[in-house]
Amino acid sequence: MAKRSFRRIIAKRLVNVVLTCIGIMILNFMLIHFMPGDPINNVIPHTSKFDPSLKWELREKFHLNDTLEKQLGWYLWNTFTGDWGTSYMQNQRKVIDIISQDLQWTFLLVGISTVFTVLIGMGVGAYSAYRRGGAFDVAATSTSLFFYGMPTFWFALILQTLFTHPFLGMQWWPQFPPGGYYDTVRYGATLHWSWPVFVSIAEHLVLPSITLSIGYLAGVSIIMKSALVDTMTDDYILTARAKGLTDYQVLRRHALPNGMPPMVALIAMDMAFVLGGAYQVEYVFNYQGIGYRTIQAIGNLDFPILQFIVVVGGVAVVVANFAADMILLYIDPRIKIA
Amino acid sequence: MRAETDSTFTPRRTEAIPSAPRGNSQKRLHGGFPTFRGTSFLAIACLVAVLGCLMVQPSHSQVNAQTLDFIQDEAPVANAGPDLNVTAGKVVILNGSASTGFEGAANLNYTWNLTYQSRVITLYGMEPTFVFLTQGGADVNLTVRDSVGRTSWDTANVAISEPLKTFMDKYLSTILLVGIGGAILAFVLLRVLGRVLAGVPVVSEAGREKIRLGSKKYKGIVKQVLRSPMGFVGTTILVFFILMAIFGPMLILYDVHEQHVELKGQLPSKKYWLGTDNYGIDIFSELIYGARTSITVGIVSALIASLLGAAVGLYSGYVGGWKDEVVMRLNDVVLSIPWLVLMIIVAAFVGKIDLTGIILIIGLTGWSYTARMVRAQVLSIKERQYIERARAIGSSEMSIIRRHIFPNTFPLVFANTILTVAVSILSESTLSFLGMRPRGQVTWGTMLSFASEASAFETGHHWWIIAPGLFIVIVVLGFTLLGYALDEILNPKLRHR
Repeated sequence: MAKRSFRRIIAKRLVNVVLTCIGIMILNFMLIHFMPGDPINNVIPHTSKFDPSLKWELREKFHLNDTLEKQLGWYLWNTFTGDWGTSYMQNQRKVIDIISQDLQWTFLLVGISTVFTVLIGMGVGAYSAYRRGGAFDVAATSTSLFFYGMPTFWFALILQTLFTHPFLGMQWWPQFPPGGYYDTVRYGATLHWSWPVFVSIAEHLVLPSITLSIGYLAGVSIIMKSALVDTMTDDYILTARAKGLTDYQVLRRHALPNGMPPMVALIAMDMAFVLGGAYQVEYVFNYQGIGYRTIQAIGNLDFPILQFIVVVGGVAVVVANFAADMILLYIDPRIKIA
Repeated sequence: MRAETDSTFTPRRTEAIPSAPRGNSQKRLHGGFPTFRGTSFLAIACLVAVLGCLMVQPSHSQVNAQTLDFIQDEAPVANAGPDLNVTAGKVVILNGSASTGFEGAANLNYTWNLTYQSRVITLYGMEPTFVFLTQGGADVNLTVRDSVGRTSWDTANVAISEPLKTFMDKYLSTILLVGIGGAILAFVLLRVLGRVLAGVPVVSEAGREKIRLGSKKYKGIVKQVLRSPMGFVGTTILVFFILMAIFGPMLILYDVHEQHVELKGQLPSKKYWLGTDNYGIDIFSELIYGARTSITVGIVSALIASLLGAAVGLYSGYVGGWKDEVVMRLNDVVLSIPWLVLMIIVAAFVGKIDLTGIILIIGLTGWSYTARMVRAQVLSIKERQYIERARAIGSSEMSIIRRHIFPNTFPLVFANTILTVAVSILSESTLSFLGMRPRGQVTWGTMLSFASEASAFETGHHWWIIAPGLFIVIVVLGFTLLGYALDEILNPKLRHR
């Protein structure tokens, strides 16, 4: 019985995932196509040598002359057959190439910052819960609330200014490059892996990942703390203490595992959101990942890229939610019905 | 034609559009050798052509020379017309018919490049039409090409003035407010009058008791909020900033909408405490004034988001069944789309990006979380016994929602609204920074955006960036603290199971 209901839950969730994904695609198509502006005006070069009649050929090529239903048909067909089309800009490169290249860089940035965020956030949250009301707790909570209310782009700008030239003329002040993937002037525009390039990439990642981490650190540590505080007041913790376990053992063996479920959900959501949403950091640090590409595509009305980004971002959120649910079902047997 | 609406916005680091040299006197011919420009090139070309003609067809040399004369003399001359003064929102006809060419003006190939709102818009034809929506300026660059392929260009400036306000534009909000106020007043008066005529006391004993209990509960909540450290700090911050928002703009010394270009970029001094910005507006005054707009945007859009969210959540949770499923799937979709793209799309529908536009954009995109939360709450309330009892004594669906379910979700919605205000203020600043600025308005977000565009740190205007950001942080902190405190007090079950 139990097993069957478990399967049913999974099946229902899966159906929801598929429905939501299709919904994202259709809504995405409808919304973007009702946006004002003629994308073709952006594709054509602004010189008098350009023959205006080519404009119509381009419209034909991108199916912009068809009826809406036909365009939707084309869109869904192309989506499922993996033909994501070519960008209106970018020398008409394949969308899939552009996006997969951007995704690599965004994954690097988001991956590193998420690892730091989770490790530090969980540590801070756990320690705050463990010494609740103490000096560390108060300091950590107020600091994280302060960072929580900070506009990310503002913090990024300030970090960028502080750490790109010697502060008040102090020569020992750490300096980092202001933006980009790595030092392309010195190592060339095409990436060849070598030790100096690796160091350069690491240097360029420091400021953006710190900015990104600190924004999310607050959420992680606050949730961690409240989850732990909830479990710490449960009876079995008292029992564990009565058995004579040390505080650390109680925290590590009894409280932490039960404080995990909210964390899993939060981390999954953060990962997915950041994938589609590190706009501000990427923009300020000129780090050309997905977020930067989004902003650029909006500016250029580059519909193929925008559509792809919306679908990738949306599906990432849905899948991450689903994965989190599944992990929760696995690690927390108390969740039976969702 | 529609490409220039204000919803499109430009990334900051795209290539700058090279500014074309101005003035009608500078005309040059394209297509010559780089070293042989102008007359020398023409003379040589002419010589070669004449020699060639003489060699190939000596008998027709007369005719060919005449054709060559045409080509020599009547190279196309672009004329983009006089500088224009137009009104925003009105159709403008760009007139290139004064251009000349050897085949006549009608046979030239016209390309118009409008540099407007830091975008380039290309139009074709001799007399294209265009609608400028935003007040400000635009550069028009006309390039004409004849059938031989020679080109010439000319520029004109367009000054776009504010759209003329009709009576309705000016007084619509006043009329609406007066109307709503009048309706409410009439409703209350009618009720009181009816009671007086029927001989029933205007305020019944039960009513009085209800009010007494209500105010007691309200006072209790206020006391509790002020007693909790989070609530106290939050309230203090908010009282300070709300007072600033109300009275600040009356106290500042400089008009934040009046530009003084001659005073631009002043460093902090006794006269201008934080210096002046790129338009010569006092930064300190802007900072104070920004409190009003920023907080208004935050509060009003949070109210819209909460109302929408509560309505959707109440409906979906109470109705249940397939309708609930549909609404919730739609909600999932909205939640999953990257928020910036969602906002841009909504912006495209809202159209005009002024203060109302920004409020609508943030309000219309922020309801999903509230809806989900309210729905969960409604689902749990719906199954409770008193709802069943209410149904048993014959209450209608509407009255159950209104009298039993909504009041029980209200505390949740209220606390959440306060938290949403914080998020909305942040959203506004981010949107401004990324280029979607409410037009003609000073908010902390637009200040930051202009400051970073003017690279304020490099020019020594540190406070131009630091101060608005700090104010945003503090106000957001205030709303967040108050929201958490209220949440803990109003919804104790959620916090401590």
